[in-house]
Amino acid sequence: MGLMVLLIRVSGGDLLDGGVHVDDDADLDTRWCCEVGAAVYPFHHGLKSPISRLSISWSRGNSLRVSVFAAPSSVESVEDDAGGTVVEVKLGGGDGEISDAHWRRIAYGSVSPFALLQSRKNAISSLSKMSMNSSPYDADWWDYIMEYSKDINALLGSQKPASVPVIDDPKSVIVKGEEPTNLKAAWELLEMFYAEKPSHLCLPERLVDWLADFDSLFSGTHPTVHSKLVDFQKELVNLQVVEDNPKYWEVMSSALAVGWLDIVVKMLRLHGSYQLDQLSNRETENGLVEAVAVLISKMPRMRLDQEAGKLGECFKAKPDFVKAREKWRAQINKLDSSAFWFQCAHLQTREGLRSMLQIMLGNANSLCSATCHWIELYISHLLYIRPLTVGLESMYSLAQKSIQLKPMASAHRLMGLIIGILGENTEVVLAECLKGFGPWMVVHAIELLTAGSDHAEMLLLEERPNLGGINIEELHRLVYAQVLSSHPLTWQIAPIYLISCMKHGMVLLQILLSKQPVQHNQLLLKSIEICRLYELHSITANIMKIAGVHHWKHGRKGSGVFWLQQARDEYRLNRIAQQLFDSVGKTISDESFKQWEGLIQLLGSDSKTAGGLEFLHKYRDFKKSLQHVFDGKTTDAARRAVESLISLMKNPSTPQRFYLPLLYDSLKLLNWKDRPLLNVSQTNLLLTKLQDLSLARLRPDFIESELPPQALNSVRLALATNLGRAILEE
Amino acid sequence: MAFAAPQNPSRVHRIPQSKYIDAVRWLSPVSALDRFAAVAYYDTDTNSPSIEIICVDPNPQASSPILTPQSSWTPPSRISSLKTAHSTHQPILAAATFSGSIHILVSDLINGGTVESEATVSELGFHSGPVSAVDLREGGTECVSVGEDGRVNLVSFVGDSSKLSYRRIFDANGLVGYTAVKWASPSEFATGGYGFGLQWWDQRRPGGPVSQFKGNWCQGKTSGIVHSIDIHPSRKHTCLAGGSSGTVFAWDLRAQQQPIVLSGAGTGEAPISLLSESEVWEVQYDCYTRSSNIGDISSTRILPIMICSEDGILAVIEQGEEPLELLAEPCAINSFDIDQQNPSDVICSLEWESIAILTRNRTTNDFGFSIERPSFFWPVYLELLIVQYDYETLQESDNWTSVVTRK
Repeated sequence: MGLMVLLIRVSGGDLLDGGVHVDDDADLDTRWCCEVGAAVYPFHHGLKSPISRLSISWSRGNSLRVSVFAAPSSVESVEDDAGGTVVEVKLGGGDGEISDAHWRRIAYGSVSPFALLQSRKNAISSLSKMSMNSSPYDADWWDYIMEYSKDINALLGSQKPASVPVIDDPKSVIVKGEEPTNLKAAWELLEMFYAEKPSHLCLPERLVDWLADFDSLFSGTHPTVHSKLVDFQKELVNLQVVEDNPKYWEVMSSALAVGWLDIVVKMLRLHGSYQLDQLSNRETENGLVEAVAVLISKMPRMRLDQEAGKLGECFKAKPDFVKAREKWRAQINKLDSSAFWFQCAHLQTREGLRSMLQIMLGNANSLCSATCHWIELYISHLLYIRPLTVGLESMYSLAQKSIQLKPMASAHRLMGLIIGILGENTEVVLAECLKGFGPWMVVHAIELLTAGSDHAEMLLLEERPNLGGINIEELHRLVYAQVLSSHPLTWQIAPIYLISCMKHGMVLLQILLSKQPVQHNQLLLKSIEICRLYELHSITANIMKIAGVHHWKHGRKGSGVFWLQQARDEYRLNRIAQQLFDSVGKTISDESFKQWEGLIQLLGSDSKTAGGLEFLHKYRDFKKSLQHVFDGKTTDAARRAVESLISLMKNPSTPQRFYLPLLYDSLKLLNWKDRPLLNVSQTNLLLTKLQDLSLARLRPDFIESELPPQALNSVRLALATNLGRAILEE
Repeated sequence: MAFAAPQNPSRVHRIPQSKYIDAVRWLSPVSALDRFAAVAYYDTDTNSPSIEIICVDPNPQASSPILTPQSSWTPPSRISSLKTAHSTHQPILAAATFSGSIHILVSDLINGGTVESEATVSELGFHSGPVSAVDLREGGTECVSVGEDGRVNLVSFVGDSSKLSYRRIFDANGLVGYTAVKWASPSEFATGGYGFGLQWWDQRRPGGPVSQFKGNWCQGKTSGIVHSIDIHPSRKHTCLAGGSSGTVFAWDLRAQQQPIVLSGAGTGEAPISLLSESEVWEVQYDCYTRSSNIGDISSTRILPIMICSEDGILAVIEQGEEPLELLAEPCAINSFDIDQQNPSDVICSLEWESIAILTRNRTTNDFGFSIERPSFFWPVYLELLIVQYDYETLQESDNWTSVVTRK
């Protein structure tokens, strides 16, 4: 089995810039790959013989179509060995965190919120045009933005619902919730900074909650409080006396520093002094532990709402909060300087509790040593040192300070995003979104970025000559639409994004629709449906024409005629009519008429939609009436047959090559026994047509009908006889 | 657009799948506890189609039912049509593919819901191109298949041979293409195709359709394709069809050439309430909805029907009444199936890779017992029992999306 290695050097966004390296034994110099920044995509081509030729082209979406041709085998091995094979190689592993199917689900789900927000935006802007003085950013507007953000946020959760344990285990300190994702974390950051009404007073507490939900995401690249807790949780099961373990105190300090009060209090209650048999001789110690636990659970917090079961006392107004906080700090100070500490015999408990008090008092050194990376440090500062930080500027400088104290060892996409947001740098935020989370994120995040900030709106909506006159918002929408278009399942939601692009959207939509395959009705009808929605009638007609010709070519004449009829494409209908008449001349007999019946019914009697095929309808009628003549021999039936013969011969759409067969078929009418059925002018018409025919026969492209050689003469004779009889009659 | 509104809002659960769903069908249950469905999936990532038997666990604790895959079978290409036959001890499935083959599958629901291929027709001359529709005869010994190539084939599978024998009933040589088929009786069936044309066939009178409902009856204005046909076992003279431009019409064989338009493309007369303007992918008689017009149950009246459409509508239509919208999704509903045993339950496949399970609220009727009867009772039962149903206000909430997408 041959293994092929495809090497593609990616540079500056241009794929296929380098070369394709073919190596049969897969013994690859991986060092070289790393040096040039190449991606290696191994695949099996399954060919036994050596490869002579290789062809690479783009396939749908992010995949390459690699055609591998085997060398023509010189040996007489006439096995059923394939001469070549075509393999699709999917480029890019995608986001490891979110599967392709989940990405598609997010894409589907975000269509409705996006479309709703766009329509509301349009409504508001048309409203504000009517009444000049009303501000577009009214209370409703923020509700709309928040609704949009919540809808999108709901899509980003993990697919599996969190399993809630029925029995509360006293020793499980971490409650496992929904599996967090970077994407959700990033969206929640954007939501809290851009979508919520600009009341930044509660931002610090929002960040605390955010970190509590998503700290585990940093565990992969950084040491975190969360990973410390997880490690300790494993040890905890085997520990007899927790308070003797220095890690117990360390983990609690860390958790306290980032404000996970519930966990800290729960862990404190695991302290040995709570056990009934020890309560009597460790009374003071237990009193101290409990005092700290109570202080922690009474911590004043500046936030709007408190989840049930969460610890801390909430304050909505700043003065109340400041007063309560002063009181709380005084209590801590009082406890810190109390004499009880000397009576506490257990060293670890004494030291541990006092270091926790230091954290609560906001000792910068304690905070720094308790936290692991700069975001944790930043959060601890916001909690214990500067809880009243207001405004992005001061938050940003605090973040800078935290980074100085705890430099980033490696960059994390969420950290970059936070810095961008705090630095109020829209370009950085966009770049981080694009780099870390892809085009979906950018398109949907722009809605939040521009929601309240005039500056961002100006930046993103300004038309740029270097982008071909479009703005950044449109650029990203177009990019995202392209991504959607490249997948056979998501292409049909691309139009929603394309029509929101003012400049190039419509043209790209037309191209997208024109490029859709027409083989299967379901897809074809979907394209037509989208055309109908956006009133792209010319595209509809084009698609129908393509479908018609496709079906026609594949022998599905009925379907072909139907689509060409729908497209009102008389030109092609006339063209295919000529081909169809060839087979009519041969096969249209009384037995095979049932086959034609369906097609003739489909054509209908309206000559406009049938084009040249109208002839078929009349021909069928003529044949039918002729049949009656042969069956019944009544003069009335014969008269009707003559009428349809004359109308056929008069009609310009009747092909000349049918003149003779028609007349030959109606010999019986021409030689009608009782009296001549055709009058002089009618006979003259037929004679003229016969004359036309003999002229036409001189042309090289004339197709001779398959009739006995004496046919022409017998028709001529019959017509001449009839003319004579008709003249006599008149 | 005004819709009659259900009084008891039905429960809807949308269960995301990670594959495209081509077709979905309930399987007749073997016990009261287990519910099974057959789903034709198509995985675009690996380009692989599959037919899976899933167990539908209503799961009263959790928020939505749980679908557990039981077994899977891989067809040679994508499924274009999937039908099931009831009233056998084991459910039989007939699957038609885009590559022009037909597969008869048997599922053993008692022993873990396995599915295996019983027989296959995939000969070269069977159909050229895709098989566009297939229908299994009740009792499951014969199925009829049609294609756009104009071939009408009858496949019978009595005996154990893994190769099916088929008989060509008609070959239109591509001059006419068929897109839908449905049995009417053991010897008769109806087909549909382009230009809203319908054909009636009788095996006892070979050589072509015995009766044709002329296509193009709307005279080129909004002509289209018939996507689905249904024939009620108690009213075999009426052929119900759904197709392009939201068109749902019935062809009463006794009144030859006049369609009874139930929705969509008007015939120029009084505007008929327009439910949907896009493709109606499937139509089925809905034995759950009871005719509200007690006085008029003549045999000319069309029984209530359910449709699903490209613009995401699942609705019940009754002749002369306002349609009742059950679902308005932002994406297309490609197929649906009403559970014959529990007609309140509907399973739908949504374009955006998910399955929706809809449970209409069970109401007790005037006689005080709950309406649940095995399927073979329905036709007679339906004619005899007339129950008045009321429906509550449809929640307006989710409707904007369909408005947005429908513009």
